[in-house]
Amino acid sequence: MLNRRSFIQLSVGGTLGLLVTPAIWKATDDVSIWTQNWGWIPKLKKGAVEGVPAVSKLCPNGCAVRVMTVGGEAYGTAGDMDNPLSQGGICPVCANGVQMMNNPVRVTGPMKDGQPITWDEAAEILKGELDGAAGSVAVISGDDTGTANEVLSALAADGSYYMMPSAMGTATKAWNGLMGGEGQIGYDMAGSDLVVMIGAAALESYGTTVANQKAFDAARPTDADATTEFIYAGPMGGHTASVCDGFIPVNPAGMKAFALGLAYYLVMEGATIESADFGALKSMLASSYSPAQVEKATGAKSADIQTLARKLMQASAPVVLCDFGMSPSTVAAGIVVNLLLGRLNADGGMVALAELPTVVDGALDRVARFEKDIVGDLASGTFAPKLTLIYEANPAYNASEVMEKGGFTVAFSTWMDETAAKANLVLPNAHPYERDDDLANPFGVAATTYVASAPVAKPGYGSKSTADFLLSIADLGYETFAEVLEAKGSALVEGTVGTYSVSLAIDALGTEIMPGDGLQVAVYNNLMFGSAKVATTPHNPVGIRANELKGMDMFVKLNGATAAAQGLSEGDKVTLTGSGGECKALVHVSEDVMDGVVAVPEGFGHTEWDEFSRGKGDKVYGILAKNADGGSTSWAGTTVNIAK
Amino acid sequence: MGQVMEKRASKQFGGALPFLLGFLGAAAIGWVLVPELVFCAKEQPFRFSHQTHVEGQEMACEDCHFFREDGSYAGFPRNEECMNCHDVGAPEDRAVVLEAIEAAGGAEAVLAQESGPEDLDSLIVSAEPEDIAAEREMLVGYLLTGVEIPWYTYQYQPDNVFFSHKAHANLTLADPDAGHGEAEGAEAVEAEETTDQANCALCPPAGIESGTSPPPFMENVISGYSKSTMKMWQCEQCHAKMHQDNACYVCHK
Repeated sequence: MLNRRSFIQLSVGGTLGLLVTPAIWKATDDVSIWTQNWGWIPKLKKGAVEGVPAVSKLCPNGCAVRVMTVGGEAYGTAGDMDNPLSQGGICPVCANGVQMMNNPVRVTGPMKDGQPITWDEAAEILKGELDGAAGSVAVISGDDTGTANEVLSALAADGSYYMMPSAMGTATKAWNGLMGGEGQIGYDMAGSDLVVMIGAAALESYGTTVANQKAFDAARPTDADATTEFIYAGPMGGHTASVCDGFIPVNPAGMKAFALGLAYYLVMEGATIESADFGALKSMLASSYSPAQVEKATGAKSADIQTLARKLMQASAPVVLCDFGMSPSTVAAGIVVNLLLGRLNADGGMVALAELPTVVDGALDRVARFEKDIVGDLASGTFAPKLTLIYEANPAYNASEVMEKGGFTVAFSTWMDETAAKANLVLPNAHPYERDDDLANPFGVAATTYVASAPVAKPGYGSKSTADFLLSIADLGYETFAEVLEAKGSALVEGTVGTYSVSLAIDALGTEIMPGDGLQVAVYNNLMFGSAKVATTPHNPVGIRANELKGMDMFVKLNGATAAAQGLSEGDKVTLTGSGGECKALVHVSEDVMDGVVAVPEGFGHTEWDEFSRGKGDKVYGILAKNADGGSTSWAGTTVNIAK
Repeated sequence: MGQVMEKRASKQFGGALPFLLGFLGAAAIGWVLVPELVFCAKEQPFRFSHQTHVEGQEMACEDCHFFREDGSYAGFPRNEECMNCHDVGAPEDRAVVLEAIEAAGGAEAVLAQESGPEDLDSLIVSAEPEDIAAEREMLVGYLLTGVEIPWYTYQYQPDNVFFSHKAHANLTLADPDAGHGEAEGAEAVEAEETTDQANCALCPPAGIESGTSPPPFMENVISGYSKSTMKMWQCEQCHAKMHQDNACYVCHK
């Protein structure tokens, strides 16, 4: 019989017997390994690693990139060595393309007044609103380079088309508007031997910054002398000024005067322009932009301006980039300098690229899309449509009246930005890597540049390509946007428009930019902060310095003398009060900024997006002036009062 | 009184007999029964005959199991590679065949038959009945629908292990006893210097390259890994014998 003693003997024997087998040890090991495979633990995708060429539109001008995939799944973004826009480089925003594609802040499906709806319901609502608006439709686009604009403008052919303020918009208003020129302005930095940047920080935020940086890089070989001289004229140092051969401090309100001060010396040296307006230009320069007047307006010494003018005349292939404050007349002043130097469509000079033809019937061409002025029309009350379609733009952030005055608002947003949060109808646009898209002559390129890309990933988060969706609800002659891009690619016109006579916009050039009382404002961009379109992207907060953002407060920069004159010191909390509002910040004393100027960053102050960007810093737009300038609205000449 | 009872019990069961019975019984369970229970046999998605492809079609291993340009190992072929020979045409052609399959009662009904519909039969390249059946499964279930074949990988490592097939491809194991002690008993020898096969044949089940039906995948029911998955000590042991670095970062990047 089994009794207590024998049972214990049996159990001890059994336990020891089990211990001499691998069972317990293997089970323990297996259980520990099992913890590697819990359902919530992410698994690596296996497969071929590839770099798929794609277009990224997160930054203002767009980047040509390679989306890195493993087993067909995107995991990162890199530059594209084979693309002239990239040459292996990439901007800090587009470098986060995949992180933004998988960002939880994406819109998760169509919504009407904040409530989820189906795409079919959304299509019916949009068709109904288009019919009901009876032509009182506005389109607001933040995509300067995409052929999707043609689909939108053909859809709302009897409406109004607005582009958000941008360098391309200002240049188009200057060259094609004020001066009656043809083609799209660009600058051949790579072919130049002297690049003068007046307010245009081309190595950080102006034009095709990555390609510009590559041009700078190529001109600075490590084993030979520099082949190009770079000079920056502006109100503050920065990434561009810090690497240039020369930096000339110029007041924010004096940028146009500085360019025309150069023009004065060039004309005095005998430079001419074959234009009926040249006589008027000469008179205007003599009467309004004499050295003494320019010195007063710019804060720059006339001797420095004269030296630079001589340097321009002596250079074999100089080019001047001039832009500040969304001011068409300032851009026109820079163009005049290039014309005086004979640099239109010359190698290493300023180019006017032939326009790319439209391929969608009824679509507006590039120049027509940039004709209107959203800031001015909002201020004057002209903007009052029944229906507003907002594409790749975030006007609720930097032109918030659009949401109140735009009637029924429809946001084609990829992310839950300020505009999507307020729009009546939200139709999630597929991320650039999830849709067909293109970059047609990004602003600043010196040769016809067209990049089209197919989706790298399927549309996520319930999104659809806006262009494809619109083509599905309207008969515009194409079934898919891929077909539109194919037609666009086949219709390219390359080269420049040639040399010809243009108007010299004498009235706009002759109108002085008059700053008011207070400190002059210099707005500066750093893509790490974010932009008007996107808040700072996932990897970029670590690149923001301690003297640019502290906790929830951003810094504005003043030099020591200006801060002392205002009774301010490092770290003071201040309020900047401008014509239309105020802006809060901390003071950073920096000798990078010239006297009497406060430098304010752009891109902070988003109120939506994610916890890492929401509420960080303040928006600059409220303090900016809205001055009429060359048929548009400019903030050049903005002044503010600053107080603790 | 208690001492009397204990003596009686010991005598009744022969002293250490219960201990021995328990010891031997548990040992038998631990050595024989448990290993059977830990692993679950899973068949590959369909019968793939290496013999048909290697001997019949004279295909080389690297036609399907190749290194990519960047040196990474492709492992199992994707549908794209299979379609190099099993041509199912353009997407619109595949749609026509799928429609024919639907018209014939759907995938399940079609696979229950030996042939038909005609559109599907026209794609078959096999000659033997059992090969034809397997090919029909592959076409209907995967190539035509665009679903990648979910092959079971006999030998795979966790995500936190970096294993380069390329680094191991041209090495083979020499006889450990031919050297001078355990640590030096094995030498890295270039494969072409020996008559041995490159050691890619060491990881998958023996003889798979010439079999007519792949062996089942043995899945550990607790950990989920393959029975063939090498443990870290095995990697370390071989690295030591081959005079290779055993630092953590060599495999854990």
